[in-house]
Amino acid sequence: MYTVSDGEIRERFPHRWSACSTSVIESMPFYHVHPGSRCLTIGTAGCNFRCSYCSNAHIAKEDPELQQAKMFNIPPDELVAMAKRMNCRSIVFNVNEPAVSIPSLIELSREAEKAGIMTGCLTNGYMTEESADILASIFSFFNISLKGLSDSFNKNFIGISSSKPVLRNIKRLAKDRYIEITTPVIQGENDNELNNMAEFIAGINPSIPWHVFRLLPEDEMKDEDYPDINFIDNALTEARKKLPYIYFHNFVGSDWVNTICPACGDVVIERFSLGCGGDKLKTDHTIEGCCKSCGSEIHLLSRNLK
Amino acid sequence: MSTAIIDARGWQSSFDLKTGEKVDPESDAQRIVKEVLQKHPYPGDMDKGSNRWVSDTAFELIDKYMPRFVFLSYAAQYFSLRYTPMTDEARSSIIAGAFREAERFAEVSGYTTIIVGTGDMTPLIDNIDITRLDGLALCTNWSARYAGLYEPSDKDMTLLSSHPFIEKIVPREEVVRLFNGSPDQALRVPEFLMVARRGYAFKALSPTMKTPVMIPSDNFTVPVSLPGSEISDITCIRGEIEKLISDRNIALIILEGAGINDFPLPYRSCSNGKEWFSYETGDAQYLTISTGEHRFFDYPKGYKYYDETDVNNDFPFSGYFKSIPENTFASSFPERSIAVGNKSMFMHMVTGADISIECFSRNMFNQGTMAVIHRDNK
Ligand code: SF4
Repeated sequence: MYTVSDGEIRERFPHRWSACSTSVIESMPFYHVHPGSRCLTIGTAGCNFRCSYCSNAHIAKEDPELQQAKMFNIPPDELVAMAKRMNCRSIVFNVNEPAVSIPSLIELSREAEKAGIMTGCLTNGYMTEESADILASIFSFFNISLKGLSDSFNKNFIGISSSKPVLRNIKRLAKDRYIEITTPVIQGENDNELNNMAEFIAGINPSIPWHVFRLLPEDEMKDEDYPDINFIDNALTEARKKLPYIYFHNFVGSDWVNTICPACGDVVIERFSLGCGGDKLKTDHTIEGCCKSCGSEIHLLSRNLK
Repeated sequence: MSTAIIDARGWQSSFDLKTGEKVDPESDAQRIVKEVLQKHPYPGDMDKGSNRWVSDTAFELIDKYMPRFVFLSYAAQYFSLRYTPMTDEARSSIIAGAFREAERFAEVSGYTTIIVGTGDMTPLIDNIDITRLDGLALCTNWSARYAGLYEPSDKDMTLLSSHPFIEKIVPREEVVRLFNGSPDQALRVPEFLMVARRGYAFKALSPTMKTPVMIPSDNFTVPVSLPGSEISDITCIRGEIEKLISDRNIALIILEGAGINDFPLPYRSCSNGKEWFSYETGDAQYLTISTGEHRFFDYPKGYKYYDETDVNNDFPFSGYFKSIPENTFASSFPERSIAVGNKSMFMHMVTGADISIECFSRNMFNQGTMAVIHRDNK
């Protein structure tokens, strides 16, 4: 988060982290980025959205000032050293919105680059074009949340007037960065937009992996029903014709977390779904990023974009 | 093969517990369990009805499976005490509520109950930040008192040895000797085990978890309620069960976060560890109770958990457990047994019961419930 002093915009709490831990990349989720690799996960505090279902509300929605006592205070070189010590292939920002902590993340990415460690993030994509360019210079891979298309959904559930900046930034980041997209589905509220979202993504690049999340109703939506799994699965029928890499998960035991070869239909990457950030690689059957049955290339960061 | 049946809130599927492969449920036990899961959705770790869910689910399972041994864990009060600031009165009332639930179970079921409190909680005074050492320090979110230390520099050792909140730094050999560990077991023990003073908790790398307001105290003794028994150590509980179960049905009830200070029933004060080591609420304490032997080494405090969980794909629905613990009472008991608890990805491993039902939560987010059937041929 930022403050203005002496006419300058400054980060309020640089290098203060609300989380610093290790995990596997699938649990972020990134399904097509170095499958099975370990990452150091970090986050700060604050967010420019106020999603009514936020599962990290105690970090994203609370005043960051009040959270400082429990934050980790670790400079970038030490974070990178930690990532190396724990054999992490990447550092992933995955708790709140990275656009609220840009200066710290610039410094971190410089250190990470020196050490040959990739950086990625989860973002809500709501930022100026200039900020999107800066984030593109910091991170090589993104999971962007496409929460809803209509103005009314964005007003009611996210607290913004329009999804236009998000759509613009998805296009911008997809130009020269690796991206995956995530959409939490609130039954009866944005499931009717799934086909339009799929069309939008396919229009950018049909190989973009799309994570459709069964919403975990938290925070202001804590008492709401969980979406019906079969209903959402059916709602994705048309979308699956447009995008070969659709995953439906965020619940334990999901059947829809494997990667299928778009050319021959064989399972090329198998995963376990534990819901709520616990997904895991089971077996990667690809050979040098290609389907072992038909040899077709699978859209993977490890192969396509280094 | 052990089968896991997962109910992700309105959607059920069955898996081979070890491989995570889907299986088609067929047996009677599997049908029974699916019905029970459907009828008893989990209300959430900190929900007022969480402990009631344990009893009600157990009643249903008892009715349908008729076990001779029941293992229950009531943990809701532990989660609430740990994370919710409250007055002493509120705290006492929460603990009293957990006891009422255990007593309700005893009354309705008619089982002879052995009630074990896992130990008192104490307010968190301060954290011991171990994130900025030259070496690597590790502990899990749920452990407050212990942390592992690897490759510390001289500077680290000087700093840590004089740290006012650290009680002890124990070298690996001493830890291994204390629990008569084998060379193989020693490999997973950290180079040094750090022990915090009462009221202090290690703060190592961790995901975003809520900050605790209370943590387990240094409980060298815990209360065990079993009228007429003379036991003095938690390792003796298993022997008591073996003696008593010949002529009656037994329920072993674990009440998390309840210690000697809050135990309203007559109890024996039982040793809960060895020398300088006391068990915190968790797998080692449960396994020590259910096997009758000290089980420090299954998942040693401060071990490099990520090296095992990231790489080993066995038991994907069992959290950090990577094998079914051996020698639990229920796993060798020839008659029927069940376990129910609001401890996620845990009960089916630490109890060894024929059928276990537990909540499925990740970072305390409610994902539904899971049943595990280890045996269905009794
Ligand atoms: S964008 Fe993410 S972190 Fe921010 S409020 Fe929404 S769900 Fe929470």
